[in-house]
Amino acid sequence: MAKGPSKRMVTRMKILMVCLVFVFTGALLGQLASLQLVNSEVYQNKAIAQQLRTTTINPKRGTIYDSNMKVLAQSATVWTVALAPANIKDDAQLQTIAEGLSSILDVDQETIIEKGQNKKSYYEIVKRKVEKPQYDAITQFLKDNGIKAGVDMYEDSKRYYPYNDEASSVIGFTGTDNDGLYGLESMYDEYLQGVPGKVVSAKNAYNTDMPFEYETLIEPQDGNGLVLSIDERIQAILERHLEVAAKENNVTNRAAGIVMDVETGEILAMATHSDFDLNNPMEIFDADVANEIASLTGDAQTEAKKQAQFDQWRNKPVSDTYEPGSVFKVITAAMALEEKKVSVDDTFNCPGYYVVGGRRISCARRTGHGTVTFKQGLEQSCNPTFMQVGERIGRNLFYQYFENFGFTEKTGIDLPGEATNAGLFHTEESLNSVELATSSFGQTFKVTPLQMITAISAVANGGYLLQPHVVRQILDSDDNIIQAIEPNVRRQVISTETSDLLRELMEAVVFEGGGKNAYLPGYRIAGKTGTSEKRDKVNEATGQKDLRIASFCGFAPADDPKVAVLIMLDEPHADNIFGGTIAAPVARDIFADVLPYLGVEPRYTAAELQQLDTDTPILTGLSPADATTKAEQKGLKVRVVGNGDTVLKQMPSAGSTIPKSGTVVLYTSEDSEMEEVTVPNLVGLTVAQVNTEAANAGINVRFSGVGLESEDAVSTGQSVVAGEKVSAGTVIAVEFQHNVADDAADTVADD
Amino acid sequence: MSTEQAARLAKNKIEKKKGKGKLSFFSAGGSFDLPFFFLILALLAIGLVMMFSASYAYAYYTPKFHGDSLYFLKPQLMYAALGIVLMIGVSLIDYRVLHFWSLIFMGVSYALLVIVLFMPAQNGAHRWIPYPINFQPSEIAKFALIATFAHLMSKYHDKMGTFRWGVLPYILILGSISALMIAEPHLSGTILMCLIGVIMMLIGGTKPKWFIIAISAGLILFVWVFFFPQYLPGPLADIVTEKLAHGFTRIEVWQDPFSDPKGTGWQTIQSLYAIASGGFMGVGLGNSRQKYMYISEPQNDFVFAVVCEELGFVGAAVIIILFALLVWRGFAIAMKAEDKFGALLAVGLTVQVGLQAFLNIAVVTNLIPNTGISLPFFSYGGSSLVMLLAQMGVVLSVSRGARLRKR
Repeated sequence: MAKGPSKRMVTRMKILMVCLVFVFTGALLGQLASLQLVNSEVYQNKAIAQQLRTTTINPKRGTIYDSNMKVLAQSATVWTVALAPANIKDDAQLQTIAEGLSSILDVDQETIIEKGQNKKSYYEIVKRKVEKPQYDAITQFLKDNGIKAGVDMYEDSKRYYPYNDEASSVIGFTGTDNDGLYGLESMYDEYLQGVPGKVVSAKNAYNTDMPFEYETLIEPQDGNGLVLSIDERIQAILERHLEVAAKENNVTNRAAGIVMDVETGEILAMATHSDFDLNNPMEIFDADVANEIASLTGDAQTEAKKQAQFDQWRNKPVSDTYEPGSVFKVITAAMALEEKKVSVDDTFNCPGYYVVGGRRISCARRTGHGTVTFKQGLEQSCNPTFMQVGERIGRNLFYQYFENFGFTEKTGIDLPGEATNAGLFHTEESLNSVELATSSFGQTFKVTPLQMITAISAVANGGYLLQPHVVRQILDSDDNIIQAIEPNVRRQVISTETSDLLRELMEAVVFEGGGKNAYLPGYRIAGKTGTSEKRDKVNEATGQKDLRIASFCGFAPADDPKVAVLIMLDEPHADNIFGGTIAAPVARDIFADVLPYLGVEPRYTAAELQQLDTDTPILTGLSPADATTKAEQKGLKVRVVGNGDTVLKQMPSAGSTIPKSGTVVLYTSEDSEMEEVTVPNLVGLTVAQVNTEAANAGINVRFSGVGLESEDAVSTGQSVVAGEKVSAGTVIAVEFQHNVADDAADTVADD
Repeated sequence: MSTEQAARLAKNKIEKKKGKGKLSFFSAGGSFDLPFFFLILALLAIGLVMMFSASYAYAYYTPKFHGDSLYFLKPQLMYAALGIVLMIGVSLIDYRVLHFWSLIFMGVSYALLVIVLFMPAQNGAHRWIPYPINFQPSEIAKFALIATFAHLMSKYHDKMGTFRWGVLPYILILGSISALMIAEPHLSGTILMCLIGVIMMLIGGTKPKWFIIAISAGLILFVWVFFFPQYLPGPLADIVTEKLAHGFTRIEVWQDPFSDPKGTGWQTIQSLYAIASGGFMGVGLGNSRQKYMYISEPQNDFVFAVVCEELGFVGAAVIIILFALLVWRGFAIAMKAEDKFGALLAVGLTVQVGLQAFLNIAVVTNLIPNTGISLPFFSYGGSSLVMLLAQMGVVLSVSRGARLRKR
C-alpha cells in the first residue's frame, strides 16, 4: 500500500494549490478591496438614495389680514385621497373601496377601479383638496369595512378667500401646490410659504418602511402672515361705486380705482372692475364675457378663455399705462409755481388753440376761453394756458420735475406686475416744443394710475413723494409682528408753500371749476379731472380714434389731506364720457362714504347748511302758530291750509327728509281735502329753473349731484315723472349733472 | 493494513498522552484531519448564520413565505445537522469502497441526467428532480465523475501517458455528461464539471501536450464560433448565433450592469450596492439594508453580498481565507494520502469546493459574468448541503490514512 501519490502528482498538486489559493484568493480580495475600500462611495450613495424615502410635510401658509385684522386669505387643512393599489388585497376589496369613495367624494366609480388596477403602484390620486367632513367620512368608511391599507390620505392645504372677489387682483391666488401664483400671494410667497418639514425614513424594495429607528423628523415652519394697509370696508366702498360707474357708462376696457393714504403712501383700497373670484380664479367672473366664450368652440374657446383669464386677473391700477390727460395739469402747475415761472393771477389768452413749432394745437373748448388767469386756466382746464406755461418751464426743468415726481421709474409698490413706462414718455432730448406743449396737458406720454396718484399725493402732503405699499406688517406664525413697513419718503419734490397753494387751486377746481361733480357738502375736496384721448387705438365701431379715458384724481380734506382717490374709466360708451361728468361723481361718492368712516367730521359752510336736508318734525296736534315756530327752527317754511286751531295733517309727514329750504303744508280743518298738484317737468333745467317750477307747483325738491355753484348744472332725472298727481308738499328728488364738457377732450389733433 | 493502522493508532494514543499530537476522534477508525474538520464546521456555522441573516427579511416580507422569517433557516438547520452526521459517518467508511461504487454512481448519474430532461422545468430549466426531495442530478454526477476519474486514474496510472488510457475515456465521459447538462440547460454546472475534470486529469498524469493541443483546438473553435459562426454546419449556425447573442448580452451587462438596471443588471447592481455599503468594517451583523428585497433571493447565490455588507471587507476576507485554508488543507491531505485513489478523490472534491466558492464570489463581486453557482456552506439548499458534507466526509476518510503528521 505504499502507492501514495507519485512525485509528479505531488508537484502538479503544489502548482495547482498555489494557483487556487494565492491567485484566486488574491483576485477576490483585490476586487473586494476595490469595491469596499477604494471605490465604495459611488455605490454607497446610490444605495442610500434607493433606500431612503423623504416625505415632505407642508407648512401652513400664512394668513393675509386687512388693516383691521379681518381675514382676507387663509389656509385650511385638506387632504389628498390616493389609492395604493399594491396594498389592496383583491378585486372584491377594490370594488368596496371604489363604491365607498365614489359616493363620498363624488368621483366616478369606474375611474377609481381603473386606477386600482395599477397593481404595482402605491400612489394613484383619487381626489385632491378633500375637506374635513369627507375626510371624516372616509376614515369612518375604512374603519367600518376593516380596510387597513390601500387608501391613503395625505395632508394638504387649501386657500380660502372669505371676500371672494374683493381686492382680488391685489391679493392674488395660489396654485394646486400652494405656491403663490398671482398678486401678493406671489409677491410675498417666500414669507407666506413657510419652510416645509420632512420625514426621512428607510424603505425596502417593496416600498414599505424598514424596521429601523431611522426616522428623522424635521418640523415644518408655518408661513408668515401679512397685515395689509388695505381696509376691507374702504375696498368694498371703492368696488361698489366702481361697479356702478362701469355699468352706467358701459366701460369696455375695465374701470380702475385707488384709495391711498396721502401721508404714508399706504394703499387703502385698490380695485379693478370687473375682476374675479379668488376662490375660483380660473372661472370667468364677468357673466357677459363668460357667455361670449361659451358660444365659441374648440381652440378659439380655449384661446378666448385664456385671454379672458389674464384680462380679469390684471391689476389695472398697477399694470396698465394710460395718458393721464388734464389730471396731469396739476403737475405742470406744480412745476411752474415751484419754479416761480407763473403766478396765480398771470393771464393767458386762449383763442381756442395755440400754435407751437408750426403746429396748431386746439383747446378742448374750440371757441376759446378768452383771457384767463392761471387759476381760471386750471379750473377750466384750458390747454393753451398750459402749453404756454410749459413753454415758460422749458424742457430741462419740465423733465427734471417729471423725473422727480416719479414718472420715469416704477413706484416700487410691493405688488407684482408693476408696468414700466420706459419708452412711453419723452426723454429730455426728445422733449421738443411740440412734445413739451402736449405733455403740459398730459397727452402723448403714458404713466400708470399708481404713478399718477402717488404724484398727486406728493402735491397734497407738502411735497413728499412716497413709495406706495400694500403690506403694513409681516407676522410670524403666532401673529407677532416681525417686520413693520414704515412709510418711505423718497424725496421732497416741491415746497410746502407750493403744496399749500396747489391744494387751494385744486379745491377751487372742485368748488367752481371742471371738478364740480366731485363737490361734497361738508367736506373740502380737491381734485382734477381728465378726459384723455386713446391715440393708439381705433374704435372698431366707428373706425375713428375716438376712444377716451375718463379720470379723476383728488384728495380730501383739502386743508389737511388724508386720502387720495383716483378713478379711471377706460373706454366708456355713454352720451357724456368726460372725466368731470362720469369719473368725478364716483370719487365724490367714495369720499362721501370713506371720509366719515375715517372719522373726518363734516363742517358745513353757512351756505351749505342752507341746502342741507333735514327731517320734518312732528307738527300735528300743535296750534298753527306753534307748528310754524317749530318748523322755522329747523329752517323750514310752512303753508297753512284751512283755519282750524290745531294742525291735523302735515305734508310731508313727520320724519321725511326734506331740504332745509323746503315747505311743509299744514292742514288744520277736518274737512279740508289734501291739495293735489300735478308734477311739472323738472328735467333739462337749471337749479334756478327747477326751484321756480317746484315753487309754482307747490312741491318740494331734493337736489342730488349739485353744489353751490350750480349755474351750469342741468337736471337729468326726477323721482316722480311729470304729469303725475301728488299731494302738495311732496318731496321729489331731482338729479343734476354739471355740464363740464369744456373740461374735456384734451385733443392733440393739429387742425 | 490492519497492523499498520493499529500501529498508527497506538502511536497516536501515545502522542496524545504526551500532549504533542492531535486529538484522536473515533478511536475505532483512527483519527481524521482536525484542521479540515474544523474549517468545515467553521464555514458551515458562519454560513448558517449569514444565510439566516440574509434571508429573514425576504422571508418575512414576501407573502408566499407566510411572514415566517425562519422559513429558510429551519430546513437548512435540519439538513446541516443531518449533513454533519452523514459526514462523520462517511468518514468512518473506508473510501476504497468507492472503487466499486464509483462506476455504479456513474451509471445512476447518466440515468438521472436523462430522466431529469423529462421533468417539469423549474425557472425555465430541467435541472431538478422533485422526488423524493427536490435535488439536482448534476450534483450526484459531479461526485460520480470525481470518483470515477479517481478510480480510473489510480487503476490505470501507468498508462496515463497514452492517449488511449490517459485522454480518451475522460474526454468521452466529460463530453457525454456535458452534452446532457447543456441540454437541461445548465451551463455553469457544465463549466464547473469540466474544470474539475481537467484539473484531475492534469494531476492524474495526462501528458501536458494534450492540454496544449486541447487549448489550441479550443482557441481555434473559439475563433471559429465567435467570429465566423456563419461557416458552421447548417442548423448549428442558427443555434450558435442565437446562443452567442445571449452570451454577448450577458457580457455587456457584466461590463456595465447599468445598461439594464431593472432587468438582467438588477442583481449585480444590488449586489455591488451591498458590497460597497459594507465598507471596511461592515454595517454590523443583521443590519444589511440591501437584503430588504433589493437583492433578489438573498438566501441563494447572492448571500455573499449580504456578508460583505454586514461584516465588511474584514469579514469577507476572513471567509475567503477560510475557504483558501480549506483548499490548502484538502491538498495537503491529498499529497499525503495513502494511495493515488485517495489523493485524487481529495483533490477532486477539494477543487470542487474551492472552484465553486471562487466562481460564486467572483460573480457576486462582478469579477466575472453572472453564471448561477451557489456558495458552498452558505447558500440555501438542503440536498446540495447534505451532498457537500457527505463528500467532505470522503475527504476526511482519506485523511484518516494520510501521513500528515510525519513531516
